[in-house]
Amino acid sequence: MSESVGVENLIDAERIKVDGEPQVSPGTNGAWPKLRVQHVSKTFQSKNENVYVLEDINLEIQQGEFVCIVGPSGCGKTTLLNIVAGLENADSGVVWADDHKINGAGTDRVVIFQEAALFPWLNVVKNVEFGLKLKGVDGKKRRSIALEYLKMVHLTKFQHAHVHELSGGMKQRVAIARALAMNPEMLLMDEPFSALDAQTRWILHYELQNIWLKTRKTILFVTHNIREAVCLADRIIILSTSPGRIKKEFRVELPRPRDDNDVTVAEYSTRIMKELKSEITKVMKCEMDADSCVECDIKCTTEASAKTDIGGGI
Amino acid sequence: MQSILKRTIFYILFVGLWEGLFRLGIWPEYVLPSPVSVFKTLIHGFQNHTFLIGIAISMKRIAIGYGISIVVGIFLGLLIGRVRLFEETLGSFFSGLQTLPTICWLPLSLLWFGLNDRSIIFLVFMGAVLSITIATDAGVKSVPSLYIRAAKTMGAKGWKLYLEVIIPAALPHIVTGMKQGWSFAWRSLMAGELLIVCLGLGHLMMIGRELNDMSQVIAVMIVIIVIGILVDRFFFVKVEQRIRERWGLTKR
Repeated sequence: MSESVGVENLIDAERIKVDGEPQVSPGTNGAWPKLRVQHVSKTFQSKNENVYVLEDINLEIQQGEFVCIVGPSGCGKTTLLNIVAGLENADSGVVWADDHKINGAGTDRVVIFQEAALFPWLNVVKNVEFGLKLKGVDGKKRRSIALEYLKMVHLTKFQHAHVHELSGGMKQRVAIARALAMNPEMLLMDEPFSALDAQTRWILHYELQNIWLKTRKTILFVTHNIREAVCLADRIIILSTSPGRIKKEFRVELPRPRDDNDVTVAEYSTRIMKELKSEITKVMKCEMDADSCVECDIKCTTEASAKTDIGGGI
Repeated sequence: MQSILKRTIFYILFVGLWEGLFRLGIWPEYVLPSPVSVFKTLIHGFQNHTFLIGIAISMKRIAIGYGISIVVGIFLGLLIGRVRLFEETLGSFFSGLQTLPTICWLPLSLLWFGLNDRSIIFLVFMGAVLSITIATDAGVKSVPSLYIRAAKTMGAKGWKLYLEVIIPAALPHIVTGMKQGWSFAWRSLMAGELLIVCLGLGHLMMIGRELNDMSQVIAVMIVIIVIGILVDRFFFVKVEQRIRERWGLTKR
């Protein structure tokens, strides 16, 4: 069954934990993994309890891989992305980008946020040039690089427009062009399309896949939308909530470009949805009955460990 | 078109009423001069360059004082807006100081700098600097952290982060502060020039008063008003409009 639809259940959460020190070994094409997350944990202090946002996260991403992290809201997926980006610090654990330990933000890992974060005091093309200017690339070269990437996202016509004149989807495309213009080793995308309407998202899924096929950038993409993850990713990592752990991994091997509305994509999504359902119920329970959250957490955790085995059979 | 017509009629009526009051002869001419003699004084003042020199001297003073206050004000605003220690100490100190009318600095200014240009420039500086500091502080605090995070992932660090992101993002606030600062500076300049007699437009008014030449006083007042309007129209309104366009705040 799993063969026929192409979903491969690679590793479950248990095995990752048992592995301990992840082996530093060359990846598929003899290269080092582009990104290695080792034993990353993060706790937030709330009023009278510790919230385990991330607990012992281990993850490897190869050069050119498109990885989606999926999980219910509040599972720490954005925190994980911020740690990889260097915008937040982990309480423990190490993140490696190529051969160096991550210590703060770096231009090798550019983030695309949920809101495009374009600067209103700059026009479109100057926004795309922003990172290059900081790098010290001279004016002419900067402009030609910026225009090249604006062309890639089909916005050449709007190069002199003000940011507020663009629609939400166009803003995100500019943000993508701006990130690509930096020629980063890795793109980190934090729910970039979740604020867009369905049609725009559909178009951008298509465009992002084409860009990825063209550039073969390593992409780490965070989303709560399973359909989106199936549509975009080579590999989907499911994160559980409180504590945030890697629950499961799926490999998606469908021909690209994929379409959100494709039957196989829908079928995949349903399967992964089943896996995530217990997590979502857990979140719902906690949100609906905030007073007994601690108690609920305990319940949820036991329930989750029980469900891990059930879900394993996909 | 309608409003221009209304405005023209208003000014004609205003000048007519003034001339009428003058013709009634209730007050002597050194109390209420006729609009005609004020106009003549204006022409004369510009012809023999006294007004031009006065304007030049006053503008030089405000340019220096206001210029320094912009640099210092933005710098202090950034410090208070970004560094906790300065916010807790300087921040409250400055908002307290701002309640002090600028002219209250005159005695100190005279003692420190003497009866001269520098004393007036100091008054101008004190008039504008706090408005600009406080507005910059507010602007810096209102910069969305998203901009800063985005800029950091694109390699913005240290002073470049301030120059390329924080200051431009705070610009709408800074310009508002500069506008307010300008009007305070302009007032301080006139007060200073009236009280510390050493050339400038304020001095021209004092000469008018001493010679009982009320038409000169009013003529200089008109010059001061016109300069105020010109700076507002041709600088601040233009800048604010550009910012509104960029940020998309204009109603379309």
